[in-house]
Amino acid sequence: MIGSIVLTAALVLSIIAMVMYYLTFRGYKNTLNYARLSYHGMAILVIVGSTLLWHALLTHQYQYKYVYSYSNGQLSTGLLFSSFWGGQEGSFMLWLLLTAIIGIFLQSYSSKRSDLEPRVMAVFTIATSFLLVMVSPWFKNPFEYIWAHPIFINIADISPQYLSMPFLENFFFSDQQGGQSFVRMSTELYSVLSAQGIAVNNFIMDGRGLNPQLLNWWMQVHPPVLFIGFAMATVPFSFALAAMMKNEYKDWIRQAFPWVLAGTGVLGLGIMMGGYWAYEMLGWGGYWAWDPVENSSLIPWLIGVASIHTLLVQRRSQQGGDSVGRYAKTNLILCILTYVFVLYSTFLTRSGVLGDASVHSFVDPGMLVYLFLLIFIGSFILLGFGALAYRWKDLNAKLPEDENLLSRELSLFTAAVVLGASALIVLVGTSAPIYGQSVDTFFYDEMHLPIAIIIGFLNGLSLLIKWKKTSTQELLKSSIFAASASVVLTILIVVLSGMSNIMMIILTLSSSFALIVNTEIAVKIVKNNMKMLGAYVAHIGIALFFLGVIGSAAYSEEVDLDLVKNKPAQAFGYEMTFTGYQPIENNTKYAFNIELKKGDKSYNAAPVMYIAEFNNSLMREPAILSFFTRDVYFTPNGYEEGSSTASGESSVVSLQRGASTEYANTKITFVDFDFPAEVRDAMMSGADFEIGVNLTVESEGKKQNTRVAMQNKSGERLLTAAELKDVNIKIQLSNLDATGNVDLALSSLDGAAIDQSKPKEEIYSVSASIKPFISLVWIGVVVMVLGFFVAVARRLKESLV
Amino acid sequence: MKNKYMFGGFIIVIFLGLMGYLFTQSNIKYESDFTNVINNDKTVKATGSWVKEKNYVVDRESKTFSFYMADENGKQMKVVYDGVMPNNFETATSVVVTGTFENGHFHAKDILTKCPSKYEEQPVQSSSL
Repeated sequence: MIGSIVLTAALVLSIIAMVMYYLTFRGYKNTLNYARLSYHGMAILVIVGSTLLWHALLTHQYQYKYVYSYSNGQLSTGLLFSSFWGGQEGSFMLWLLLTAIIGIFLQSYSSKRSDLEPRVMAVFTIATSFLLVMVSPWFKNPFEYIWAHPIFINIADISPQYLSMPFLENFFFSDQQGGQSFVRMSTELYSVLSAQGIAVNNFIMDGRGLNPQLLNWWMQVHPPVLFIGFAMATVPFSFALAAMMKNEYKDWIRQAFPWVLAGTGVLGLGIMMGGYWAYEMLGWGGYWAWDPVENSSLIPWLIGVASIHTLLVQRRSQQGGDSVGRYAKTNLILCILTYVFVLYSTFLTRSGVLGDASVHSFVDPGMLVYLFLLIFIGSFILLGFGALAYRWKDLNAKLPEDENLLSRELSLFTAAVVLGASALIVLVGTSAPIYGQSVDTFFYDEMHLPIAIIIGFLNGLSLLIKWKKTSTQELLKSSIFAASASVVLTILIVVLSGMSNIMMIILTLSSSFALIVNTEIAVKIVKNNMKMLGAYVAHIGIALFFLGVIGSAAYSEEVDLDLVKNKPAQAFGYEMTFTGYQPIENNTKYAFNIELKKGDKSYNAAPVMYIAEFNNSLMREPAILSFFTRDVYFTPNGYEEGSSTASGESSVVSLQRGASTEYANTKITFVDFDFPAEVRDAMMSGADFEIGVNLTVESEGKKQNTRVAMQNKSGERLLTAAELKDVNIKIQLSNLDATGNVDLALSSLDGAAIDQSKPKEEIYSVSASIKPFISLVWIGVVVMVLGFFVAVARRLKESLV
Repeated sequence: MKNKYMFGGFIIVIFLGLMGYLFTQSNIKYESDFTNVINNDKTVKATGSWVKEKNYVVDRESKTFSFYMADENGKQMKVVYDGVMPNNFETATSVVVTGTFENGHFHAKDILTKCPSKYEEQPVQSSSL
């Protein structure tokens, strides 16, 4: 309750701040202090609200639906902390929190730069107001009580002491298919509980928890970094609008520049962290799958990077005069678009329109939220482009004359155009699901290959071309070293790797060219002009990134291996031996050891498999051996347990769920476990229980179902058998283990010997792949982000002039 | 001046043309009616649900995973996927398979499972080759 009040109060203050800032801009003298006070009050309330949510999560207050839905008692403190952004409500909250905090810095920054503050903050508070409406009690409020809308709670999560209480009877539901029972939590049950004096927080003793794939370190860092990038995209938008409010287009460029650089840098880092997470933990096999969710955050980044290039030109062309500079309109458009695409990304990922298209799953958030998201994005499009249309004539009147063809100005503009083209490609492909279409990933790959080639060459050339004008001769002279060095480097790479695809060779050449030009300049200026280094460092980063992508994406190789225990297999020049598995992390997961040998060096890799309680599914985690020149990547596929107890009469087979075996012309399939929640509870509490194993038996076209079971009666373990007279088979359950395997002893009923006894081997199936130079991908991104921040330091100083 | 715009326009036309062409080439339609899937030899994304009554089979030898899928009208088809059973498969509320119908079954190159979690954005394993 208090949380909702805090957020509602913050919304009111945000709107007051917006109005007061606007009135200040209109010339009112005494409104600025109120505006500042309201903004800071709003920011403090948002911080208080977030703290309340964290507190509720850390102290397991399951009366809040959000806390119940995304956390549980088993989560470590770090993960509990990050369950804050585990769901939609919380991720809006995180976005709001970061935006509010960034606004504090922006207020202080803009208050030191002439009359900037009222204009910039008036626009900025529109964004905070919209976000506050989003988390308000009418939409995605993280402080909603669990009984506000009926929700089914697994009885395993209900405190056992209340389960037998008679008043609960009307609220029980059971799911026939899954064999689970639920309690329907609703306002009725809430009033019954209140009447009995039972606190909901005691009644519900555990939450659903987080998806197992989110349970790692990356969940704690990737979303916040990404959302800082999203929140910072609000700033260039505010600056562009502020410039149009005043109808003055000169100063905002240098004032907005450090913000654009920092925001784009952080967003880039956040995007790539997501890629690394997918690669290292989720086992997608790569770092980029052109998934709509990844794509939707890439679009604003590309537009942001494009704007950096044209902002630079405008800033440069302003020097020594009162001119507005070149590309004034382009810069306004790009800064508006960066934020609009951040909102579009939110719309795509939160509105449910992607539905079937993404590996991230999204469920419809409801019509109201859908409409609100549309209004949110629509308002900012209208605001941005409406203002632009209103000022269009004035802008045209202020623009200077055309530039020379061979100038750095033009090459930077071309860079922005190419980046814009890339953004358009991603936008078209990603938006296709809205019309019930989708594109294969080769659409993105094929379109980006020429774009990457152009970017590489432009990247190098633009730095060799001088501002204003360069003669062709000068250019040739200055590029001769870099051109020949990059040709030599490319030939070297091609010869060593045996590369034969012509497009890949050209891309290698263009990336090498960019790398060498930038390194050459960086080395020249590093001694006396450190602060100028930013652009070159960022460009070295992108060149390294391209080289890493060429290696890891185009020259990756994969094989599927069936590793028989203790029998070495050969792949990629390694001798690989599966040596068995052991439980890790308190017996919740299993690590499968693979020993690798190459010459006299030996390595160890241990991919992980486990059954996640959260969704009762088999989960797999990859293992990676990282070297500078390559990664060896293992994704587990499955494990088949062998058995040595096969005898002439009965044969023991080990089956994974869903697998079948043949015995005496009969096909026996292990369907699933019969292991409902009550049984699990009984097992936990030490009472008697029975875990069933459902089987189908198929012979001569006839199919029947049967069941064997493991029973636990007063501490003693019993394994039952099934006798099937018509097919003359006895199936005795001989073991069942936590990895989801069952061992069945099969024999004929009449004792007749059936020759089936083939001793089985323990087989571990993995997909192994080689990713050449994937390290360059990570190094490239880190170097690039570093470059952004070196540039921020320089431009921050300039912004005060 | 005029030349510059003509040159720019020319580049834009080529770019858009190329993009349009590749878009149609790589375009895969969503299909929730299996009658259309079966009578079609194009690559589609078939959406439906897993038929739990008919078991899935994991075949380690041929490295395939096969199961039955039904569309919203209850029309069923067999799906053979080149790969291992995806994480979360058993709890998936809906399944999207990408591939073509051939030799009496749907040959899937890619499989996507959607989880029943209610308000949630969470990565769900997709196995692609």
